[in-house]
Amino acid sequence: MIAAAWICLISPLAATALITVGGNRLSRRGAGFLSTFSVLVSFVAAVVAFVALLGDSPSRRYHPSTLWSWLTAGNLDFGLRIVVDPLSVMMMLIVSGVGMLIVLYSIGYMDGDDEERRYFAYMALFVFSMLLLVQGGNLLMLLVGWGLVGLSSYLLIGFWHQRPEAVSAAKKAFVMNAIGDATMALALFLLIQKTGSLNFEQVFTAAPSFSNWTANLVALGLLGGAVAKSAQLPLHTWLPDAMEGPTPVSALIHAATMVTAGVYLIVRTAPLFEQAPKVLELAAGLGAATLLLAGLIALVQVDIKRVIAYSTMSQIGYMFLGAGIGAYPDAMFHLMTHAFFKALLFLAAGIVIHALAAEQDIRRMGGLRKLMPLTFVAFLVGSLSLAGIPPFSGFFSKDSILASLLANGWYGEILWVAGMIGTFLTGLYAFRLLFIVFWGEPTPFVREHFHAPKRDVPGLSMAVPVGVLTVLAAIGGFIQFANVWTPITDWLEPVARPLVEASGTQEAVSSIIAVTLGLAGIGVAWVLYGSRTSEVPRLAWAQTLLERKFYFDEAYDLAFYRPAVFVAKGLARWIERPLVFGSVRELAQGVGLIGRDTSRIQTGLVRTYALAIAASVAVVTVVFVAVR
Amino acid sequence: MTTALILLPVGGALVVWLLPLRPFAVASTAFLVALAEVALWIDTLARFDFSRPGLQFDEQQSWFSDLHVSYHVGLYGFSLWLVGMSVVVLAAATGYAFWAGRDRPRAYYGLMLLLTGAIVGVFLAQDLLLFYVFWEAMLVPLYFLVGVWGGPGRLRATLLFVIYTMAGSLLMLASIIVLGISQGTFDLVDSGTNSSDWIFLGFVAAFAVKAPLFPLHAWLPETYRESSAEVSAVLSGVVSKLAAFGFLRIAIAKFPGPTADFRTPILVLAACGLVYGSLLAFRAPDLRGVIAYSSLAQMGLITLGLFAVNPLGLNGAVLQMVNHGLISAALFLIAGAVERRAATGELQALGGMARGRPALATVLMTTGVIALAVPGSSAFAGEFAILAGVFTTGWGYAVVGAAAIVFAAMYMLRLISAVLHRSPGRAVTEAALDLRPAELGIIVPLVLCLLVLSAWPAAITERSFPTGNTLTELAGSR
Repeated sequence: MIAAAWICLISPLAATALITVGGNRLSRRGAGFLSTFSVLVSFVAAVVAFVALLGDSPSRRYHPSTLWSWLTAGNLDFGLRIVVDPLSVMMMLIVSGVGMLIVLYSIGYMDGDDEERRYFAYMALFVFSMLLLVQGGNLLMLLVGWGLVGLSSYLLIGFWHQRPEAVSAAKKAFVMNAIGDATMALALFLLIQKTGSLNFEQVFTAAPSFSNWTANLVALGLLGGAVAKSAQLPLHTWLPDAMEGPTPVSALIHAATMVTAGVYLIVRTAPLFEQAPKVLELAAGLGAATLLLAGLIALVQVDIKRVIAYSTMSQIGYMFLGAGIGAYPDAMFHLMTHAFFKALLFLAAGIVIHALAAEQDIRRMGGLRKLMPLTFVAFLVGSLSLAGIPPFSGFFSKDSILASLLANGWYGEILWVAGMIGTFLTGLYAFRLLFIVFWGEPTPFVREHFHAPKRDVPGLSMAVPVGVLTVLAAIGGFIQFANVWTPITDWLEPVARPLVEASGTQEAVSSIIAVTLGLAGIGVAWVLYGSRTSEVPRLAWAQTLLERKFYFDEAYDLAFYRPAVFVAKGLARWIERPLVFGSVRELAQGVGLIGRDTSRIQTGLVRTYALAIAASVAVVTVVFVAVR
Repeated sequence: MTTALILLPVGGALVVWLLPLRPFAVASTAFLVALAEVALWIDTLARFDFSRPGLQFDEQQSWFSDLHVSYHVGLYGFSLWLVGMSVVVLAAATGYAFWAGRDRPRAYYGLMLLLTGAIVGVFLAQDLLLFYVFWEAMLVPLYFLVGVWGGPGRLRATLLFVIYTMAGSLLMLASIIVLGISQGTFDLVDSGTNSSDWIFLGFVAAFAVKAPLFPLHAWLPETYRESSAEVSAVLSGVVSKLAAFGFLRIAIAKFPGPTADFRTPILVLAACGLVYGSLLAFRAPDLRGVIAYSSLAQMGLITLGLFAVNPLGLNGAVLQMVNHGLISAALFLIAGAVERRAATGELQALGGMARGRPALATVLMTTGVIALAVPGSSAFAGEFAILAGVFTTGWGYAVVGAAAIVFAAMYMLRLISAVLHRSPGRAVTEAALDLRPAELGIIVPLVLCLLVLSAWPAAITERSFPTGNTLTELAGSR
């Protein structure tokens, strides 16, 4: 099992190394297949680890393994350590499974790009980093994986590096994530100081003895990392811009896996967060705020990928809600189904973008249902799942989170209302997108630019993953049916025992209301964008507010970037310049003066010299005697 | 054997100066000697016993016996790593000069080899006067290398460099004499500790100028800009580490009392330098400027680790010294390669070099992300240990350091993008070639060292201070 876990981790890294070193000797498609194969190996290894873990009794499903000491100091020792337990195996399966499908899809999507090899090397690097993140057996390894997914995300967002927007988006994503990394690192320093270790076992055992301050600061630091990585308020602005990357990248990194890492972190370090209940509540509150804000912004977006990106933010908001109230299995369940249906939506959108000569503006799209019936079905399944309509997967997972909120007192009830409003918004924006893109008659733009997807190897490599994900998004939710059968909750029990559990009544009531609201959202979308029987209501200020995304970018620019530039310029002008140039001038003058003065000593008179020598000797003697 | 590490390059310098060789033979001899020096170091590494505390491979010859001055050299675990980093960087620098071609080769390569010998000597010296002799012997070739082979503004740069370092050296000489006399011996191993604030401050000032620490860095931007690429690589990669080594070997180890007393102002200055350097690097208009100010920031960081005076801080600082030596050398050599192609280092005029130049793009990207301490890199390991160490001294320093991690991301990504991304700048022509095999052969080994260290930073942290109480041991017996 341990060997399988290491193979799972190393295989994609090996592919990255091979593709980098291989260079031109490797054909472009060869690089694609190598990358896919390496992730397939990871997936198989993850399945092996899963099966092996099934064989253990639940309480003994915890297998750490250290390859070597990674960083040491005195008696501190942080190993290159992984851990195989139910939580890490679940994430390994999701990451490598969905990852494999998306890398396979990329073979078709990236076909003909100039730098395919670089793309596939980066993709494999990402899968490695993500696996390290979820397998890491201490917080330092987790942080390493955390940073490396940020790096691969940067590399892939900026993959088309000749486009200035892509380059700035990549930098923005990296810097915002670096803020999260920094707060996480601070939390780790505090843990090192308090416990002398970063291994999960030691840290969790010591957690109950933390003072209030320590517990809160540690949890806040970790939450900072989680919020940045998962694009939650207030560090969310990078995610929509990240859509500058190729579409499969958006599907894998910015929907299915990396951005959900924040949820994984909270679940993984639940014993630390549970010592700081206020911080957990804050996490849930941020999740609620994000899901509403993102749901609203998604209503006015006109770029097909950005609509889905905002929907990702909003769905991760639900996961934060779940994790924040301690409904860990529900959050993880939603993480899984979301990986299926959101990857599906992105990949289907990718097919649309491909068929329309790289156009992403939905105002130019329309009537694609008749031209691309299969893609339409896939998109419909994804959207229904997203909107939480039974029996599609999103229904099961989202509704368990919402029901758990009801079991969590008055704070939970407030959050529940927010979640319910979000459900309505989700139905509305998801089907606004679907109706605009697929309904009605083909627009002139579509008629002019549409060309059907080819049925060759690249075409097939795109079709197969979409097909598989369609099936998973449709039926994946049946894995767990709250209060009836709960394999995910049982599986995660040894790692993350839920703090709340909804009763059957709460489940039923919550589900009925959520589905009704979701359908209502779809209904409104139908009236406005499908049948178009009613005009879209316009509120100029609201429209502007949403299109400006609540002015977060502008505010951050004003609050952070400009002051930093201002300070940097100020330092250069008022300190650096005087320091460098001033010292040149004064030194030159000083040297000149000293030279002139010392030249006077050179009198040519022997008696002066003798006097000087005698005086010097006297001084030196006195100094020596004094010092002794 | 230890003496051979010093004698080999010095002997090489003499060969180059005395024998009437052709320019090509001169350059290749120098490069071979530099490589042999690396081999010699690997041999020493293989024979070094990391489980044993104390000085190893020491050799002692009486020099002025009545003053207790002796020729005394030897190695500790941490100095072994610093010597290794130095000889690797110096070999890369010599190789780069060989490839790029330098006029007056006999003088140039002789000085380069002399510099190598003197630098290694500083790390090995276990006697204060010997330390000073090597220290000065190192500065002389540097003055010439900057002043003769530098860029158009080299004279002013040299003037600043000479005056600042001379002032530092004088303070150090005074401190050495007073310390040696008051301890009754100049031997570093036997001399024991001292509690004089003034002597301590003399040493600190000398090392702070050389490192440099904010605000004593006025010589830095000009010197790093005007020197040839490989000399800048040596200056920022190796020479600055000698100052950090001095902090550790002399200031901290010999003056535990004053170190504790002056820790706060030094840490504050180091933290200021870290932020100040990072911010200036973020706005610097040219390649060299960014790397130069990032060096200033990194020296602040290393000083933070050293003056945390705990295992995490010290181990992190030694690791980061090795890391930064390799990183800044690689970055300066890459900058040199870019400047050869574009004839300028102005960031505004560069851009779009990634297209069609995969080797340059890969090498610069890899070095760059290691330089910004992406988690998982050796630089991250160093920074993490340093900040975790200084966190226990005062959490504020760690917060400042964590902010600097974000700044580092900003300035390094700016540099990477300015060279590689967007559409080609006005100075970048189609004819600008990718990195040539020779350049790759010089730069890639540096990057490979960094990658190996990234997989296993504990190689250094486990093997720098074999016992927990190394500082008492460094302080000596008296």
